[in-house]
Amino acid sequence: MPYLAELEKDGIPTVLIDLKEETTKVRHDATVYGVPELRVIEASRTLAGPADVDNWIEPLVQSLTKPLTAKEKKSGTWAPEQPRILFEGGLEDAEKFYQQTENIPGILNAPFSMYTDGLPVVIPTEERVKEMLAGTSHSPDEVIALQRDMRPTAREGALGVGNPSMPEFYRKKGDVVRFMPMSRTATVEQVAVNAVMAGCKPEYFPVVLAIAESGGGTGDGRGGGGSFVVSGPIVEELGINVSYGRGSIGNPPNKTIGRVGALLWRNLGGYKETVSTIMTYGGGGAALLHGEYAKGLPPGWKGLNEELGFKKSESIIMGGGGGPGGGGGGQFWMPGVYRAFQKSGHGAIARWLNVKGIPGPHNFLDYFLDGMWATREGGVTMVMIPSMAKDLWDVGFKTKDSVYEYIYKKSFEPVKKYRMRGGPDFFTNGWMGIERTSGKHWKELSDDYMVPVCPDPWSNCIILAHGEETVLDRSGGGHGAGWSIDAWR
Amino acid sequence: MPAAKSKVYKCLNPIGTQEPVELSALAPRLKSIDGKTIHLSICGEPDITIPLEKRLKSDYPDVNWTVKKTYNINPIRLSEEERKTTDGVILGVCW
Repeated sequence: MPYLAELEKDGIPTVLIDLKEETTKVRHDATVYGVPELRVIEASRTLAGPADVDNWIEPLVQSLTKPLTAKEKKSGTWAPEQPRILFEGGLEDAEKFYQQTENIPGILNAPFSMYTDGLPVVIPTEERVKEMLAGTSHSPDEVIALQRDMRPTAREGALGVGNPSMPEFYRKKGDVVRFMPMSRTATVEQVAVNAVMAGCKPEYFPVVLAIAESGGGTGDGRGGGGSFVVSGPIVEELGINVSYGRGSIGNPPNKTIGRVGALLWRNLGGYKETVSTIMTYGGGGAALLHGEYAKGLPPGWKGLNEELGFKKSESIIMGGGGGPGGGGGGQFWMPGVYRAFQKSGHGAIARWLNVKGIPGPHNFLDYFLDGMWATREGGVTMVMIPSMAKDLWDVGFKTKDSVYEYIYKKSFEPVKKYRMRGGPDFFTNGWMGIERTSGKHWKELSDDYMVPVCPDPWSNCIILAHGEETVLDRSGGGHGAGWSIDAWR
Repeated sequence: MPAAKSKVYKCLNPIGTQEPVELSALAPRLKSIDGKTIHLSICGEPDITIPLEKRLKSDYPDVNWTVKKTYNINPIRLSEEERKTTDGVILGVCW
């Protein structure tokens, strides 16, 4: 939308073709970017293309020639204002107020919370917000902005996440953070209000501010609230559960900090389904915060903070990589079978790897990766416990990078098979782009040319957790960007 | 408890700051597209955009059509130089 707005403001008439139910969202975006009357033609999701085009090609062209109406010629300023004090009264009434909903036609008039993620919240009284603000040295009226220069790394460039050689991908310290989908900004105090509502304690606030600096899990407006991994000394300081039940209930930092992203998405970003955002059936918005158990890393394996260019002594959050992942596939994993395999060479994994009767340590990756990319493309994020990391170290993986490289190399398959997949139409830009390992156009490659299904070693990620149960959790996502928590203390 | 019930609290607003936006009129429209350079910016939905490109070129042969296409959701932008010689833009289906 910013592009169309730029063109209209440059004096170039435009028309946008959207899909019918997106128009409310388009109108919303058009206002945010300053061209509220942008002309729109609605296409169909169900008609075949030629019949669909037949229905609207004439009005489409007329959108460039039909004289402007008085409304379309109007200019002005859109300046919605929000009061700092939203409600005054007793706590019971405040609870009712903050839990108000509105019925949204685009979701069949189902209620949608006006200020919350749908759950009850802690009421953000002035006193509670003041207490939260004591958790940082930053001023309440400071606008959330980048705390350091950020350029895509070569590794991110390889994944297509920005281009390290192109200045348009550079972001500078002090750049104001925009919360999507409404492209709003926020002050430290506004973030504190949301942190109170989520149930956070003041000592958690630097983590919350780092989440806000990362965009607050709002993404491009469909962010879902995001998922975050905390790395560094603050994991222990706050008592973030990195052990048994780390993805379960009962640990306040995991649950409350994890919830913040959803509130930032709703309140700072202005997410309102089918109104300011569309095409999210959900799956996002689930509260997610994990911590890394760096003490369990084998020698030579870096923690996430160091992997992302920070010091071992620095506390950071890593935003969910957001990349696609093969993490849903791979062999079925039974912790007990793994133990038998490593201890005495018994069980399914030992049979599969043909090491029956031979005690470990053995490399389990081939078994784990079997079928990993059967139905999905991308990298693999693994959450493993120290003893399993040590097993890999003992069989020769002296760095995390060596594991990432191994997985990457295992993912190669012939182009003829890759062509039959669901994702690559998108990843290859409709097969119009250049295949990275060959430097050739996709259409020039022979059927037997081997291409990686996992796009780059860096698209894999290992997160250490505490525990003795030999579970190997897997997902997609890979490495996200790192954001300093210490900068917000 | 009754005292707590009657206490009046000031409760803060969790909503972010919407900076003022200068609203612009739409660009003046063309008298006709004949003889003009019209740019078709294609992003996504090839089932729609392939027949659209064909129809535009066959139904409006007097237009100088320029096209940039991507399968992805972000349109490929016209350069500053290209904008100087472009009279109109049709963009779809993502924005």
